[in-house]
Amino acid sequence: MRDIVIEAHGLKRYYDRGSETVKALDGVDVSIRAGEIVSILGPSGSGKTTLINLLSCLDAPTEGTLFVAGKSVAGLAEDELVEVRRGVLGFVFQQFALLPTLTVTENVELPLMFLDRRIDPRRTREILDRVGLSDRASHLPRELSGGQMQRVAIARALIADPKILVADEPTGNLDTATGQSIIDLFKRLAAEQGLAILLTTHNPVFGYAADRVITLHDGKILKEETPQGRPALRQATYSGN
Amino acid sequence: MNNDIRRDHYVFRRYAALAIKNLRRRPVRTGLTVAGVALAVTVAVSLGGFMLGYSGAIDKSIDMLGFQVMIMAKGCPYEAATMMLKGGTGLLYLPAETYEKVKTDPEIESITPIFVGVAEKQGSSIRDDGGASNFSIISGIDVPSYKVMKPWIGFKKGPGYENGRWFSPGARNEVVLGFEAAEYEQRKVGDMFYASITPAGKPDATMHQFKVVGVLDRTGTQDDGTVFMPIEVAREYFGRPDELTILGIKLKQFNAFKMREFENRWLKLPEVQVVGLQQVKNTLVSLVATAQTMIAAVAVIAVIVALIGVINTILMSVYERTSEIGIMKALGARRGAIFQLIWLETVIICLAGGIAGSVTAVVGSGLVERAIKSVADLGLSGSVVNITPAVIGYAVLGAVVLGFFGGLYPAWRASSMRPVEAISKGA
Repeated sequence: MRDIVIEAHGLKRYYDRGSETVKALDGVDVSIRAGEIVSILGPSGSGKTTLINLLSCLDAPTEGTLFVAGKSVAGLAEDELVEVRRGVLGFVFQQFALLPTLTVTENVELPLMFLDRRIDPRRTREILDRVGLSDRASHLPRELSGGQMQRVAIARALIADPKILVADEPTGNLDTATGQSIIDLFKRLAAEQGLAILLTTHNPVFGYAADRVITLHDGKILKEETPQGRPALRQATYSGN
Repeated sequence: MNNDIRRDHYVFRRYAALAIKNLRRRPVRTGLTVAGVALAVTVAVSLGGFMLGYSGAIDKSIDMLGFQVMIMAKGCPYEAATMMLKGGTGLLYLPAETYEKVKTDPEIESITPIFVGVAEKQGSSIRDDGGASNFSIISGIDVPSYKVMKPWIGFKKGPGYENGRWFSPGARNEVVLGFEAAEYEQRKVGDMFYASITPAGKPDATMHQFKVVGVLDRTGTQDDGTVFMPIEVAREYFGRPDELTILGIKLKQFNAFKMREFENRWLKLPEVQVVGLQQVKNTLVSLVATAQTMIAAVAVIAVIVALIGVINTILMSVYERTSEIGIMKALGARRGAIFQLIWLETVIICLAGGIAGSVTAVVGSGLVERAIKSVADLGLSGSVVNITPAVIGYAVLGAVVLGFFGGLYPAWRASSMRPVEAISKGA
C-alpha cells in the first residue's frame, strides 16, 4: 500500500463573525495516499473550499492535527506554511490563474522562480508534452481555449514535481467534454507518477470519477464512497485498527 | 561564492523580467506614471544644471576678466561689475590720474586701465533689423597691459582673418573686433567699421570710420561682443580725455587680508571705490540663489507628486492582482519574493522616469537656457545650464532611491497578503 501523504484528524476551522462563531469545518478526518484521486463534493457552504485550503496548507486549522508529506502543519504561521507547500503541493484553480503577459512556457516555469530552482527547458517541454500542449509553448494565455489554459495550469502545478496536486473546481469553467479530458489527465498523472490528487467539484459525474468521494455537509463528512468498487480508505485504514 | 553570485544574478534577472512584463500589462498607466517621474527629474536635472552652470558661468566670466580687483568711480559696484560682464549704459568715469597713483602700489602685479563707451552703429551693419542692438560696446584699452592681464587672447585665423594684429602705434582709426562683434557685423580683417559716437557734453554724434585690423578668437566672455580701440583714441572720441572707466588689477598675493589692506590704502581717494571680484561673484550668485530656492521648492513638490503617483499606481496594480499574488504564494513564493517583485516594479518605473527625465533635460537644456535668459538678465555671456554626467548620475540615482522608498509600502502590502484570502478576493 502506498504512503499516506495527507492525514488529518479532528480538523476544525472556525471563524469569528462578530459575536457569532461560524463552524466552516467541524471535526473532519481525512487520509490521502500517494497515487490516489480524492474528490470532495458538497453544496455551496458545505466546507469544501475550507477543507481543501487546510489540506493544501493555504490556511491553518483552528483545531485538530494535520500532517502533510510527513510534516505537522497545525498551528503553523503563514511563513511556515509556505515552507511546507514549496515543492510538495501543486495547485490548479477554477479561473486557471495564468499570468496574461507570460507565454505558456513562462507560466509553466513560474513556480521554479519562487522555488529558487533553475529552468530546465527539456523538463518544461516534457511536461507540456504530457499535457498535450507542446505546440502551444510560445502562445500567450489569451490565445488558448479554456481547456488549454487549464492544461497549462496543470503543467505549472507539475513543474516542481509535487507529491500532491490540489485542484479547486478545475472543471468549473469548462464544458463537459473538456472537463472530462482534464479528469482523464488527472487519472493518468495519478497512475503514472503516483501523484495524490485532491479535487473539489460541483459536478458529480467528475466527482465520481475519482478513487474516493468525500461528501461534506455543514462542515462535516456526510459520506465517503469508493465509486469504482474499491473499499474506502477510511474503511481500509480503520478496519486494520 | 561565484556560484552564489551567478545564481543571485540569474534569480534577479528573472524577477526583473517578470516585473517589466507586469508593468507592460497597463502600458498607458505605466507610461503616465513614468512620465510623472520623468517630469520631476527633468525639473530637478535642469535646476541642478542651472545651479552648476550659473555659478560656473559667473566664475568663468569673472575669471576671464583677468583681474581680481577693480577700481572704479563711486556708484553701485555690482552694476559696474555687471556692465563689465555684459555691457550697458549709465557709465561712471574716474579721473585718469587715478591710474598713475594706483600703479605705484607695491602689492600690484599688473594693472590695466580700461575706458568703456557706447557707440551707435548707424547704418554700419548689414543686419540692422529692428530687433538687433543698435549699440556697440567700445573698449578703449592699453594693449601691452591688457595683454598681460588676458594672456589667452589671440587672433582668429583663417581666410579673411590673416595678419590680424593689435593697433599700430599712434593709429587713430583702427579697431579690433571681438569674435561675435565681427560675426554680427559681418566684418573681416581689412573691412571698414563705422561707429557714431556722441562726445561728452556735445548734442550731436560724430560718425567715425575705422579699419578692422584684427578679429579676436572666441573667449566666451563679453570681450567677444566688444569693439576694441586704443584707450587714448576712445577717450578723445568720447570727449573724456582725462577719464577712464575702470582699473583692472591683479595683486601679487591675493587673499582676503591683502585685499582688505589694498582696499584701505586706496579708499582714501574720494572719487573711487575698490571692488573685489570674489565679492562680486558671491553677490551675483546670491542674487540668483533666492530664485533657485523657489525653483528647488517646485522641483521638490514635483518629486513628491511623482512619488505619490508611483505609490498610487503600484498600489492599484497590487489590488488588481490580489488574486494573482495569492496564487504566486500558493505556488511557493515566500513573502520576500513578492516584496522583491513589487519593489522592483516601483524601482523600474522610477529608473525609467529618471532616465527619460535626464534625456529630456539634456535635450531641452537649450530651451531652458533661453527661457531663463529671457526672464532674467543674468549678465553672463556663456552657458548658464551645465548638465554634467554627475548631475544626471545623481538624478537617476535619486529617482531609484525614491523608488526604493516609494515601493516599500505597496511591496509590504502585497507580501503581507494571506494567500487564502487573496485568492478568494480575486475569484
